[in-house]
Amino acid sequence: MKLFDRGFRDMFLSQIVSLIGGLAAGIILAIYTDNIFLIPGIFIILPGFLEMRGNISGSFASRLSSGLFLGVIDPKRTDTKLVRGNVVASFFLAVAVSLSLGLLAFFFNWFVFGIFMLEIVLLPVVAAVIANLIEVPLTLFATFYLFRKGHDPNNIMGPFITSTGDITSIVSLLLAMVAMVGFI
Amino acid sequence: MKNNKKENGHMRRHVERIKAVQKHLQSLTGVRRKKHHPLIHHVHKKYGISKKTLFYVKEYGPKANVPGTIVRESIKIMLFASIISSFGGLSLEQIKMSFISIIPLIILLPALNDMIGDYGIIISSRFSTMLHEGVAYSRWWRIPELRRLFFQVFILSLITAAIGSSIALATSWVSGYAVNGALVYKIFFISMLDTVVLVSVLFLVSVFAGIYFFRKEEDPNNFLIPITTSLADFGNMIILSLLVILLF
Repeated sequence: MKLFDRGFRDMFLSQIVSLIGGLAAGIILAIYTDNIFLIPGIFIILPGFLEMRGNISGSFASRLSSGLFLGVIDPKRTDTKLVRGNVVASFFLAVAVSLSLGLLAFFFNWFVFGIFMLEIVLLPVVAAVIANLIEVPLTLFATFYLFRKGHDPNNIMGPFITSTGDITSIVSLLLAMVAMVGFI
Repeated sequence: MKNNKKENGHMRRHVERIKAVQKHLQSLTGVRRKKHHPLIHHVHKKYGISKKTLFYVKEYGPKANVPGTIVRESIKIMLFASIISSFGGLSLEQIKMSFISIIPLIILLPALNDMIGDYGIIISSRFSTMLHEGVAYSRWWRIPELRRLFFQVFILSLITAAIGSSIALATSWVSGYAVNGALVYKIFFISMLDTVVLVSVLFLVSVFAGIYFFRKEEDPNNFLIPITTSLADFGNMIILSLLVILLF
C-alpha cells in the first residue's frame, strides 16, 4: 500500500494552508476576544456560524467537483444553469441557516439570561451575506482552476475552504458588528 | 458497392442508437426523483452509460430545479449541523473564564476545528466519489483505496496537530505569555488526543452514513460534509472542554 503518493502530498500541502488560515483566525480571535465575547450569546452563534460557512462552501465545491469529474460541468464555463443554481442555493442556505442561529441565540439570551436583544438575530444574517460575497466566488474559481490544472479538487478544496472560511467568517462578524453598531 | 451499403446500414443504426439514447435521457430528466427509476437501470444496461452520470442527470438534469434540489436536500442537515455546533459552543461557555486565559488554546481552537473538519470533508468527499464511481459499495473494509485513505488521514492528522501546537505555543511565547514545560506537554497532549479520537470517529461515521444515503439514492455530498463537520466541531469542543477541566 503506497501511502505517500500525490494525494498525500496534495492533502499535506492543503492542510498546511488550512493550519496557517486557522491559526490566523485564532490570532484574530485572541486579539478581539474582549470585543467578541462582550456580546451576549456570541458563543452560541460563533461555532454554528463557522460550521455553516464550511458546510455551504464544502458541499458547493464537492458538487462542482463531482460534476467536473463526470463531465456534466464544462471546466471552461462558469456561466451555466448548474453553476448558477449552485450559487443561488448557497446564498439562500446561508441566509436561512444564519437567521436560525440568530433566533436560537436570541431566544437563549431572552429565556436563560433574561436579555432582550433583537440585534443578535440580524448580526449573523448580515455577516453571512458579507462572508458569502467573498467566499462563493473564491470557491467557484478555485475549484475550476484546480481541476483545469489536473488536481483533484476534493483533496484540496476542503482545507482551503475551512481556512479561508474561518478568516472570512470572523472578519465578516466583526464587520457586521461595526455595521450594526453604526445602525443602532 | 456492397461495402458502401454495409457502411450506410451501420451508420444508420449508429444514428438510430444515438437518437434512442437521447430520447431515453430526455425521458429520464422528466422522471420524478423520489425513487431510483427503472429507466436508469435500463439505460445503463442497454447503452452502457455509467450509473454515476445517470444519477447526476437525475439530480441536476436540464429540467431539474437545481437550487430547489440543493436547498431541499441540504437545509435540514445544515440547520441540524449548525445547531449541533452551537450546542458545542455552550460547553465552552461553561468554562469560558478558564478557556480564555489559555492563549495557546484560543489560537489553536479554529485551527483544530478546521483540521478535524477538513479531514471530515476529505473523507466524506472522497468516499462520496467512491460511491458514485461504484468502487465502494459492499464490504467497505476490504477496499484498498479506503484503507489507504484512513492511514493517510491518520498520519497527516498527527503531523498537523504537532505543527499547529508548536506554532500556537511559539506565538503565545512571542506575545509574552508564560510558556513552560508542563504547558507544552498539556497542549501537545490535548491536540493529539483530540485529533486522533475525532478522526477515527469521523471515518466510521462517513462510511456508514455515506452507504446509508447512497442506498437511499441521495447524493452523499449533500449530507456527509455537514454531518462530519458538525460532529467535528461538537466533538472538538466537548473534548477540549473536558481536557481543560482535567488538565488546567
